[in-house]
Amino acid sequence: MPIPHRRRAAFGTLTLLAAATTLAACTSSPQGATTLDTEADVTLTWWTGQADAAQTILEGLAQEFEDEHPNVTIDISSGAPSTEDLLQKLSASFAGGTYPDVSYAFGSWASELADSGRTLDLTEQVADPEVGWEEFSGAARQTAQPTGDVTIGFPAVVDNLSLIYNTTVFDAAGVDYPTEDWTWEDFREAAKQLTDPSTNTYGYAYSVSGTEETTWQFWPHLWQRGGEILSDDGTTATFNSEAGVEALTFLRDMAVEDKSVYLDQTDTKFTQLFASDRIGMVTSGPWTLYDLGVAGTSYGVVQLPGVDGVHTTVSGPDLWVLFDHEDVNRAYWSYELIRWLTDAEQDVRWNVEYGNLPLRAAEIDTPEFAAQVEAMPGLDVMAANGVNATEPRPTVAGYVKVSEAVGTAISQVLQGQGEPQEALDTAAAQATAELADQ
Amino acid sequence: MSAATATADPVEAHPGRTARRPARARARRANLTGWGFVAPATAVVLGLSAFPAVWAFILSLQDWNGFGTAEPVGLENYSAMVSDAELHAAVTHTVVYTALFVPASVLLGLLLAVLLNRRIVLIGVYRTLIFLPFVASAAATGILTTYLFNPQFGLVNNVLRVVGLPQQGWLEDPAQAMVVITLMSLWGQAAFTTVIYLAALQDIPAELTEAARIDGANRWQAFWHVTFPQLAPVTVFVAIWQTISAIQLFDLVYTTTRGGPLKATETIVYYLWSAAFKDLELGYASAVAYGLFAVTLLITIAVTLYSRRTKVGAF
Repeated sequence: MPIPHRRRAAFGTLTLLAAATTLAACTSSPQGATTLDTEADVTLTWWTGQADAAQTILEGLAQEFEDEHPNVTIDISSGAPSTEDLLQKLSASFAGGTYPDVSYAFGSWASELADSGRTLDLTEQVADPEVGWEEFSGAARQTAQPTGDVTIGFPAVVDNLSLIYNTTVFDAAGVDYPTEDWTWEDFREAAKQLTDPSTNTYGYAYSVSGTEETTWQFWPHLWQRGGEILSDDGTTATFNSEAGVEALTFLRDMAVEDKSVYLDQTDTKFTQLFASDRIGMVTSGPWTLYDLGVAGTSYGVVQLPGVDGVHTTVSGPDLWVLFDHEDVNRAYWSYELIRWLTDAEQDVRWNVEYGNLPLRAAEIDTPEFAAQVEAMPGLDVMAANGVNATEPRPTVAGYVKVSEAVGTAISQVLQGQGEPQEALDTAAAQATAELADQ
Repeated sequence: MSAATATADPVEAHPGRTARRPARARARRANLTGWGFVAPATAVVLGLSAFPAVWAFILSLQDWNGFGTAEPVGLENYSAMVSDAELHAAVTHTVVYTALFVPASVLLGLLLAVLLNRRIVLIGVYRTLIFLPFVASAAATGILTTYLFNPQFGLVNNVLRVVGLPQQGWLEDPAQAMVVITLMSLWGQAAFTTVIYLAALQDIPAELTEAARIDGANRWQAFWHVTFPQLAPVTVFVAIWQTISAIQLFDLVYTTTRGGPLKATETIVYYLWSAAFKDLELGYASAVAYGLFAVTLLITIAVTLYSRRTKVGAF
């Protein structure tokens, strides 16, 4: 049906007006409440960074929170197609002024997010003994307080690296299973025996993509030998110390001389190869157990091999970060929601239920966790391995660049290009320069 | 304004009185209607192209990590590009890829088009099959590549093993990875040049070739001296088009090697993506993007001027 002319003209003008208002709306923001009224209606936006089953669990919990507090509406979504994409999404949402109240965040983003000036500071609230802040692991607490002055959120998911071994591969090669007392020399010897070029079987796998996956696998080697990533004041890279060079030389010898390491360019392929009995050992976290369960792989889990009885592992705590909208009601309910979620009572129904490690040590004795261990053998070993996560990853701004410099050095050396000392010196110089830039 | 316009012409309902309407009001109304129609599209173009382009330029003059406060740094980002060894390596990789990809895709397209430009049984099926890879997304092509060229478990090395040739590192060998990526993008992109050439071939009157043949030219001579010159504008067009798409290579690298092994396949666009979204140097990445834009623009202007002067007439 043709629109009469007069209306068409009006329609055209309206479209222009609408476009102009839309553009204007992008920049204006409503004034938030300044006095706390816990009965007032609030709507919270929550980006979970989760998908599938994990997202379903969180949606259920959000619903429960809404039922308990009828004046609170929670607009819950994944936020981005993958957790990694959340960073881009958050950056864009800051620019557009439409950021969420609560978002999942990788621990490595903590400094940048704190730097944005848009986060809430929970330092006073979490000092309340009822919160049980001290029950979170040291590494997790430190990540939530990246600069040391402000607390930008709560730990969301904790994990650590343990040694996972494929019993089928071990049995086929007639090698004894790893034990808690293994040294890295035992590890290297076993990897050598498991490797069989004729069947394309490798003893161990290491990512050479040059990403954080490459880098964080290296930190336990460094720490166990007494090395440090950065100087105490966080301004100088010190991973090129004797300990660092020894650690990288050890990995290089395995990869280049023994040829017992599958060098993965992608970060993802080695888990699949392990699941299909092509790789004997990987160092990985709880998320791998889920994949292995699906694939039906028979495996065992033990803490990382050590140096002189030191079995330090690395932990990558992720966060629920709370953002400031200059509205005390929204701030109050964001805090209440996340405090409630990270309570042991709720955490067993979220992290434990999903197959992550429990946030608080007390949950290890719960029947929920016992049931999960039944389904995912080895999860209890990983939870216990949390005590070996004594060293936090640096939370200084610019860690991503430090990580990249180290990742590149490791990838080069493991692929037979460059010497450990030289490569680490170059990376350290680069990292120090990047830190000075911040 | 709209109210004034609407009341000024009570004409619509009474078409018989059109002649009495003032010409100025009519022109203004026509103008407004026109703007009404283009407004949505204009808003989209301004919002999604012009605005980001301007913002990226402003960003390129700042030091910003996407979260903190942006600091104006003038042309520092641009001068940093001069001494950035990793960027220079990325430029080299891109140039190598372009030098491999563009001539190969033009020649392959021409060859396939000539082969497909004939009346044989099932020609429609052949044409469809050749075009099929072009429709597949680069993500799918990339995933396929990693399976085919995996050094330990890939099909290609299995074939080499069966025929007794030495195993290759392919995507995990810094010296071969770019070649593999070129092969895979040729597989997907040759269809594009083929279709363009095929259309051009069908536009050439058959009499020209026939006349040449009657005059005693053999098939090759007829092709080289009669058909090929007619294809010159199309050749210029596909060469520029493929060059521009080659220097913007990103998706296939992202889905196969992620710039590895040892950054051997890091192209300019991949480098600027990782600078922006992995290293959070949005200002510097914008500067690199503007550098790339300048290069693309220069190539286009140069070739357009050249083709105008030589009257090839591609544009």
